[in-house]
Parts: sequence; C-alpha cells; structure tokens
Amino acid sequence: MSLVGDFLTRWRAYRKPGYIYGDEFDGARRDYDEFDYAWTMTIDLDRCTGCEACVTACQAENNIPIVGATAFAKGRQMQWIRIERYWEGEYPNAKLGFIPMLCQHCDAAPCETVCPVSATYHNQDGLNAQVYNRCIGTRSCAVYCPYEVRYFNYNNPVWDAPLAEQLNPDVTVREKGVMEKCTFCIQRIRQAKDHAKDDGRRRVRDGEVQPACVQTCPAEALIFGDRKDPESRVSISMNDPRAYRVLEELNTDPSVIYLKKVDDNAG
Amino acid sequence: MQAEDPNISYADVNRDIVRSLVETGPKYYVTLAIAFGLTLACFFFPWFYQLNYGLGAAGVNHPSVWGTYLASFIFWIGLSHSGTLLSCVLHITNSPWRKAMYRSAEAMTLFSLMVAATMVMVHLGRPWFIHWAVPYPNQMELWPNFRSPLLFDVMAITTYLTGSSIFIYMGTIPDFAAVRDRTTGWRRHMYVLLSLGWRGTDTEWHRLGWAYTFLAVLIIPLAVSVHSIVSWDFALSLVPAMHQTIFAPYFVVGAIYSGTAGIVTVMFMLRKYMNFGKYITKLHFDNLGKLLLVLSLIWTYINILELFTGWYSGTSTEYEALTYKLFGYYAPLYWEMILFCAVAPLLLISTRFRTSFVPMLILSIAINIGMYTERFLIIGTSLSRQYLPDAWGLYVPSLVEITILVGSLAMFVTLFMVFIKIFPSVSIYEVKETLPEPEDGVAEWQPTQ
Amino acid sequence: MATNAVGLFHAPATALAAAGELKGAGFASLSLISPVPIKGVEAVLGKKKSVIKRFTFVGAISGGLFGFALAAGTAVLYLHPTGGRPIITIPPFLIITYEMTILFGILATVLGFFISARFPAMRERVYVPEAAVDKFAVTVLCEDDARFRRAETILRDAGAEEVRKLTQEGS
Repeated sequence: MSLVGDFLTRWRAYRKPGYIYGDEFDGARRDYDEFDYAWTMTIDLDRCTGCEACVTACQAENNIPIVGATAFAKGRQMQWIRIERYWEGEYPNAKLGFIPMLCQHCDAAPCETVCPVSATYHNQDGLNAQVYNRCIGTRSCAVYCPYEVRYFNYNNPVWDAPLAEQLNPDVTVREKGVMEKCTFCIQRIRQAKDHAKDDGRRRVRDGEVQPACVQTCPAEALIFGDRKDPESRVSISMNDPRAYRVLEELNTDPSVIYLKKVDDNAG
Repeated sequence: MQAEDPNISYADVNRDIVRSLVETGPKYYVTLAIAFGLTLACFFFPWFYQLNYGLGAAGVNHPSVWGTYLASFIFWIGLSHSGTLLSCVLHITNSPWRKAMYRSAEAMTLFSLMVAATMVMVHLGRPWFIHWAVPYPNQMELWPNFRSPLLFDVMAITTYLTGSSIFIYMGTIPDFAAVRDRTTGWRRHMYVLLSLGWRGTDTEWHRLGWAYTFLAVLIIPLAVSVHSIVSWDFALSLVPAMHQTIFAPYFVVGAIYSGTAGIVTVMFMLRKYMNFGKYITKLHFDNLGKLLLVLSLIWTYINILELFTGWYSGTSTEYEALTYKLFGYYAPLYWEMILFCAVAPLLLISTRFRTSFVPMLILSIAINIGMYTERFLIIGTSLSRQYLPDAWGLYVPSLVEITILVGSLAMFVTLFMVFIKIFPSVSIYEVKETLPEPEDGVAEWQPTQ
Repeated sequence: MATNAVGLFHAPATALAAAGELKGAGFASLSLISPVPIKGVEAVLGKKKSVIKRFTFVGAISGGLFGFALAAGTAVLYLHPTGGRPIITIPPFLIITYEMTILFGILATVLGFFISARFPAMRERVYVPEAAVDKFAVTVLCEDDARFRRAETILRDAGAEEVRKLTQEGS
C-alpha cells in the first residue's frame, strides 16, 4: 500500500472511537458500540424495596472506606451504589420511590473527556474504567458526571481493627486524593474472562459474571449481562416497555437501564 | 499626550527610577517581612497540613467537589488579564498614557499567573503527580489526554506565562542597561547580565521595536484564548448554570474587568509609596476609570443575559440553579456581587470620581471582592444544585481554605515587592518618549539631493 | 584595531544632522546611540529591514504543525477512547494547535530578535554611558587617523559637545 493510502486508512481508522487491534486498518466503522462486550445492568424499580443490601455488598466487595461520622456529616460518604429516595405527594397520600444510583458506564461519558491524565477511559470491555494509580485528583470528572456517582478520597482510608481483616484481596485500596467509582466489579469480569479462556471459549457466558450488588439483591431487581448477546437475560429485560434511562436527554448513552415502577393507583 | 509635567528632564527620569530601585527605607523591609511571613504562615503552612492530612482539610464534599481553590485560581488568572493584554492593546493602538504604568501592570500579570499556578497545585488531590499533566516522553509511554479542557489550560497557561514573562523582559532590556550604568556591586553584575549588552544603537531600537510589536500582536489573541479556555473547564461540563455558551466572553470580560481594577489598586500603591506621583497622574486614573465603566456595563449585560437564558431555557434544572443562585443559601453573596460589580461602578460616570485617588482605590478593591465572589458563586451554587435532587449539597469553605486565600494574596504582594526592587517599575525610556525632545534650535536635517 | 569617533550631542535633531553630514562625507559605518528611539533615523541612515518577521512566521507555522502532531501523535501512540469521541479529535486538538502556534511564534520572535540585534553581547562594544540618560551619540568607524580627524571635524562642526576615540569592536 502506498504511503499516502496507508496514511488515509489509518486516519479514517483513528477518526472513529474505540480500539484498533493489531493490523486491522481496514477502515471499517468501529465505533464505541463495538467494544468486546457491552456490559449492561437493568434495574427493575418495581422490585426494588430499598433494602440497601446492594450498598452493603458493594462496600464489602470493593473495599470502600467507611468514612466515619464526622466525614459523613460533611457529606463525604462513599457509596458506589446508593439508594436515592424520593417522596411524591403530601402526607396522607405520600408515596415513596427508590432509585439505586450507580456509575452508569456511559458510552459517551462526560467524565472521560475531562480527565487531563487519562485516568478514566473506556476499556476494551466498553466499561468506564478508573485508573487509581494515574489519578491526580482534579475532581473534574465528579463535576462533569451528571449522576454524581464519583467519590473522592478526601483522607487516607482507615479500617477499624477487625474490619481490615475482611478486605477483598482482589481489589486495590485507594489512597487519599484519588477518585473512585463503581467498576461493575471489574475484578469479577476479569475472572470470568479468564475462566472462559481456560475453557477455550472466546466469550463469557450469560450469567457467568455478576457484580456484588446483583448477586446480593434479594428481590432480584438487578440483572447484569452483555447486551451484545441478544439471548442474554439483560437484553430481554431491557426490551421491556418500561425501560428508560436516567437523564437520557443529556446524550450520555448510559449502560444502566431502569424499568419504571408501575403504579396501580395512578390516574 | 505630552508630559505630565514639562519640567521633568531626561536625567530626572533616570534619577527618580534608579532611586526607587536602590534606596530602600525600613518601611519597605517591614512590609516585605510581614508579607513574606504571612505567605509562610497562611499559605505554605496550611498547605503542608493539607498535603499531609488530605483534601479533607478543605470544605469540599460530595456534590461540591470544587471549592475556593479553584475560585482563587480563576480569580488570579483573571487578575493577570489586564496587565499584559492591556499593555499590548495600548501598544498597538499607540496610546501614550500606557507608558508610565504598563511595566507594573505586566508584573501583575506575571505574578498573578504564578500564584494561579500554585493554586492549581493546592487544588489537586495528589499534586506530587502534577507532572503527569505535562506532555513529556516517559517510560510509561503514557501521554496526557489532549481532549481534556484541563489540558488546554495547562498548555494555555504555560504559553501565557512564557509569553508574558518574555514580553515584560524584552520591554525592560533598555531600562536594565540604563540602570546598569548607575549601580554598583552585585546589582551591577545582575543588570549587566540582564541587559545582555544593550547599548541603544539605532539598529537595536529598530529590532526591539519590531520584536516588541510582534510579541504584542501574538499575546493579544493568546490572552483572550487563555480565559476562554479557563471558562471551558466549566462550560464543557453538563452542570446546569455552567454549561453555557456565553461563558467564554463572560470570563474574558470578567477577567479584564477585575484586572483593570487590580491595576488601579497597584497604581495607587506605587503612586503613594514609591513617589511616582510625577509619572502616574490623574490622567491614568481617568482613563482606567473610563475603561472600568465600559467593562462593568458589558459585565452587567452578560449577567442579565445569563439570567435570561436560565429563565428562558424552561428546563427544571436550569431554573432551579438560577433560583438557587438568586434566592438560595448564597443569595447575599450574589447581591453583594451585583452591588460591587454592577451598581457601584456606575459612579465612574462622573469625572470627579474618576480623578480622585482614594475613591478609585476603594472602588477598585470593591470590584475585585465582587469578582472573587462571582467566581466563588459560579462554582459554589452550580455544584450544589445539579440534576439529581438526592445529591444536592452545600459547600462552605473551611478555615484552611480561607487561610490559603489570604496566604495567596500575601504571596502576590511578596513577589510584587521583590519585583519593584529589581525591575524599574516605571519604564525609563518610554516615559522619556512622552517628554519633549531636547532641542538645540538647529533646523531639521534635510538630505542633500 | 578599529577606531571609532563618537560625538555626543544634546539633541536628537543635531545628532541626526551630524550623522547625515558624515554619511555625505563618505563614512559608511555609522550608528546612533540614544536613550530613546529617534524618529527619522531611517530617512538619514537608510531604510532598515529586519528578519524578525520571518522568524515569527516560520516559528508560528512550525508551532502549529508541532501542536497538532503532538496531540494527534500521542493520542495514536497509546489508545484511550474517551467519551465516545474519535481517537483523533479535531476540535480539541485545534486548541492545542492554536496555543502551540502562539508559543512557538513568541519563542521564534525572541530568537529572531537576539540574532538580528546580535544579543547577548559577548565582547565589549562601542558604548557611551551618557547615551542611556540624556545624550545622543553618533559613532562612526574610521579606517585610519586621517579619517578620524576628518570625522572629528565634522562632528564638532555639527555641534558635538564632546568627541571621543573608542577602540572597541562593532558599531
């Protein structure tokens, strides 16, 4: 191939988002939907009871620091997944609604573009990854995130005596000055991919990997899977007519899909 | 414009300005010691505490992750915007009233930029890795993310700092040479090096004139781009009340506005304490006052526009952010800002006000307090009221943050005080240019054909 | 060793007139040393051309190219897809290009100034300290003593307050 032609092919390839593997400079469209996987979570708000079991499970799985009462009062609590509580109506007819809010793993994530050191980026799985070692703590990603799901380590984390014994060895402990957020339990995804590779499979099977919150949810409100697989549970559930995405008008293209609560008493 | 005082001779200019460099009273040392002590006590000491303890020392919290450090950063960058920019514009448009004040105005640019750069370090969670934001080849083969508005900032501020320090240095070379001949000892050695062997030949003047003009032409668009880029740190986010197209011009106008007010303050101080009354006159205050008036009107217009777009947008988030700004927790600050930056400057419409020194000083300080508030409100109110009501919050600066703000001011004063003893703070040769040329009564030379 | 006649004048107009006389008398290597830039030098000593603008132009253009190459090249070296944007993202990279254009333009202008005005001076050159205050000096390079005496006469006739003989290089 001529030098100019080669350059043009490369140019066209680099004018698309996503990864380009090896010598695959075919100029074919490889946009951000074409990462290896498209991990997706659906949250059925009809099933959510607001029990916060997911919050606790996440805390245990991901070594999320327990900030203590003082920092909590200052608004520095860390919950990679949190249950947002909304009241509707006035007292006798008041209704309570829950929305579990976690990193939406947006495909057009505003937090990724703003990081000056590329500490947050889209990895090969199509996940919004956070590289703790690279983070310099500008906190701009937290400002740019409209879902407010990025949490900053204002101080070095401290675990009281017995708690330090239960830290998950698969997950790094973050130091002060570093941003962190939900990873869709990337350590479990990596493990599942390793198993798949050991078994000689190219892809992870549906249901083989579950983040801690999904595993724990007693009401099975959360479903996790690869939406590239049309047969997967998550693909089926996201086609539900109740499906919607939070703040969809911002065009962030989130990977977390909510199924609206059906209100029998409405209208 | 002709000389302020026709009785000043060329030799007087040299004498007065060299005296300002070499004759130092005890008052100067006391002020310098206080400023330096404050810098150590209020800037470096709290910062070391914060480095040790973590950013928890500041008042920032979950929705409001940015705080006064960033507000101070914008404030100092803004203050830097009048010096070099104004000097360049006035150089290109050939306004002679620039000549007595531009050197100190440019110094203000330089030092406020330096303070702004340190504010970034204070703002970061892990400032010891700040070099990762600089593009340099490294063993990780990892480069910064050039798509990030924060990296535009890194590039723009580096360029601006380089450009404005070169600009002020180039303009001072002839003055270094003039001072070199008048000083002795270590000062002479320093000025010999700084003046690069300037003699003042016709060729040297010619080259300096061209180079200086080219630099001025390059720096004007640069300065405008710097504050536009700073505004994009905010405008490129999705935060309601920050995600606005008006932000770039809004910031540039705000920057020039606060910078011009800063120049008025500095001019007053130089006039009062450095005995530059002969060179910095009512005329300068009058002209700066007119400029401030125009800028305040533009600034007010953009503020009204911001309110209108917020109201007209019709989206609940924009509307909520707007109401919160006007009537929420920070409302007193908002109305204070309106009073200081939009209402009070209307006094400048009177010539008597513009030409009285003390009222101008008070107004210029009030404007800068108002402009600091503006930067604080942009961050404070917008971040506390974002999309999800569950994540609404409140931000109140901590003691460490307030102390560091005071310390940054002291650092600026320290740097400026060191500057006035090294750089001739009024340009010797350009002031001479405004004086009448010495004459012998000889007719102008005509080339023989 | 070069000999220079240096005449000191009180007023720029007189100094310019003296320079004009010297030029008329066949002295080629002339220059004026003054505390402020004198208006009308070019009418007497001939038009000056400076190469600085070429430096600025070339610097700015190469800065722009460097800026884009830096942003696009480093993006390609280590792929980090962010926010669903292409790897080579034009609008943000143009801002980097813009800033680098100006940075390199400024640096090249300084280089051009140093080269064209021959800075920094490594050797002592003809200099009159009074010319940094309020005197206007005309320096002229003289090949021999006869020429020096001729130059001195012209300078004195033109109204020089003082004529000095300096032997440094350069004028």
